[in-house]
Amino acid sequence: MRIKQHPIIDDYGKGAQISFTLDGKPMVGYEGDSIAAALHAAGIMTHRYTAKRHTPRGVFCCIGRCTDCVMIVNGQPNVRTCITPLEEGMEVQTQYGVVNREQWEADHQ
Amino acid sequence: MMRHDLIVIGAGPAGLSAAIEAARLGMDVAVFDENARPGGQLFKQIHKFFGSKEHHAKERGFRIGEDLLADAEKLGVAVHLNATVMGIYEGREVLVKHEDETVHAKADAIIIATGAAENMIPFTGWDKPGVIGAGAAQALMNLQGVMPGKRILMVGSGNVGLVVSFQLLQAGCEVAAVIDAAPRIGGYGVHAAKVARTGVPFYTRHTVVEALGKDRVEGAVIAEVDDHFQPIPGTEKTLDVDTICIAVGLSPMSQLADTAGCDLVLDRKRGGTVPVIDEYGETSVPNVYCAGDAAGIEEASTAMILGRISAIRAAEKAGFLGAAEFTARADEYAASLSKLRRGMFAPQNKGRTDMTETDEGYPLSKSLLAHGFLEPNEVSAFPCATVHEVGVHPVIECTQNIPCNPCQDACRFGCITVGDDIVKLPVIDETKRCTGCGMCVASCSGQAIFLVDEAYEPGYASVGIPYEFVPVPKAGARGHALNRAGAPICDAEVVSVKYTKAMDKTVLLTMKVPAEFASEARFYRD
Repeated sequence: MRIKQHPIIDDYGKGAQISFTLDGKPMVGYEGDSIAAALHAAGIMTHRYTAKRHTPRGVFCCIGRCTDCVMIVNGQPNVRTCITPLEEGMEVQTQYGVVNREQWEADHQ
Repeated sequence: MMRHDLIVIGAGPAGLSAAIEAARLGMDVAVFDENARPGGQLFKQIHKFFGSKEHHAKERGFRIGEDLLADAEKLGVAVHLNATVMGIYEGREVLVKHEDETVHAKADAIIIATGAAENMIPFTGWDKPGVIGAGAAQALMNLQGVMPGKRILMVGSGNVGLVVSFQLLQAGCEVAAVIDAAPRIGGYGVHAAKVARTGVPFYTRHTVVEALGKDRVEGAVIAEVDDHFQPIPGTEKTLDVDTICIAVGLSPMSQLADTAGCDLVLDRKRGGTVPVIDEYGETSVPNVYCAGDAAGIEEASTAMILGRISAIRAAEKAGFLGAAEFTARADEYAASLSKLRRGMFAPQNKGRTDMTETDEGYPLSKSLLAHGFLEPNEVSAFPCATVHEVGVHPVIECTQNIPCNPCQDACRFGCITVGDDIVKLPVIDETKRCTGCGMCVASCSGQAIFLVDEAYEPGYASVGIPYEFVPVPKAGARGHALNRAGAPICDAEVVSVKYTKAMDKTVLLTMKVPAEFASEARFYRD
């Protein structure tokens, strides 16, 4: 959820609304959002599933250090979504191991 | 190969201060920072800082960050962002990964100001989405404008845990509890008190044992711990939370000092493994310095001075500053630093549990350390918190020796004195007239000053409180007064709401309460 009113911060410096997709589904965010912030605002918590135990991971440190929040962005895996600015038309995919869901399912048939 | 007089690694408070100081002395400085934005963690800090005027006290952290950036820009300091320094090699050569290329840079001196990393504690389910670091909570709410969660458990009661808990409340989140495995709250009592008075419970001697939920946090199990910090079976409690926020300390990021070949030492009082440094921050490798949290965990205000000290030393050695001028500045900065490194939270007192009274000899509140709020009988031991005169007057619930004095400067009428030793508790001069202007209330970084008029109206008292939440209640609003523990104690009517630019977003909210609650009512809720 976004903060509508804050006692100290007047302006988060956000720009126009922009569109992107998550696993093919249409989503919206704002210029100035990180990918992770836009997802968090939309209630999305799971960014990826681990390769070995297939457990979910999401935002953890939010400063680009822990790499828990990595996703596939415009086809590129392992993108740190907490420090990567959201851009119009971005294709964001939940990462399974280091691939997307279709590839993961095909590999694990 | 780029060549400079000075390379600074890290554009946080220590690094930027070092770069500004060096550039002012005419040095050619390059700053490298791995982040996309400069300022380190300063832009997440929306609370007012402690210290005195020379330490930017009562300024909010992000404003200090803006000022540093403006100074750096004015002086033409080159701040290279997205530039990760990967190592420091012989001859003070650094290898920098900048975007997709790797570049070399060399300088006569290097200042490592890489800051700190958050500590974590493992527990069942700690890798679930919804378990986040305190810094992550700040990044989401204070930089991105997104609530980290609806209901949060804060693990850790050091200053980071306390400050972030308050910021979560300001962002509109609920804080279910603040817990700490230690038997006492680790951070400033005033930071704890402003959280406790909103109704947030503190559980000391407690740890988190499990994050519940399938794909995300849907609850937290906490338990009491024994003297060896092990959970005691049978003491588990389940909290209904969607987020668990971890604030269990910081560790210096001294890896680059290691690559440079600096002697390192494990020093618990400085927060972990740090380079061995002299009084100017110079490591065992000549002309390689380390300043700020990377050299030992402290506050941003000390980091800024430490950065400057290393910079003037580097400048002197390189011939940009004469010996006499260097000594004068070094003495000035050392004096400024020593003002901050005093009191019960000073680095040399870290981990001490044997302190039972203030420097003035007043008994320290046990309740404040255990529950985050002062008990009425404890407050009465402090003269600054218990003045009873006719008319409005300040009540300062400042009961620990913390280096801070903006209240003294705030009062135009000389009502409040802290003195040269800024860790001393404020003293109120009852002979001076208080006009109820509220500047002291707004100036107190700990939000510990209240304006009380015991005889506001027959049978009623007025209590003015610092208020930093939205929406701000309007004059005439009726609700409840809460006591220091956050429990509703009586009806209250808001009689005035005062805010001026100089108060910097701390509103003076004055409520009318039955006279017998004048010394208890410390928060307002609709």
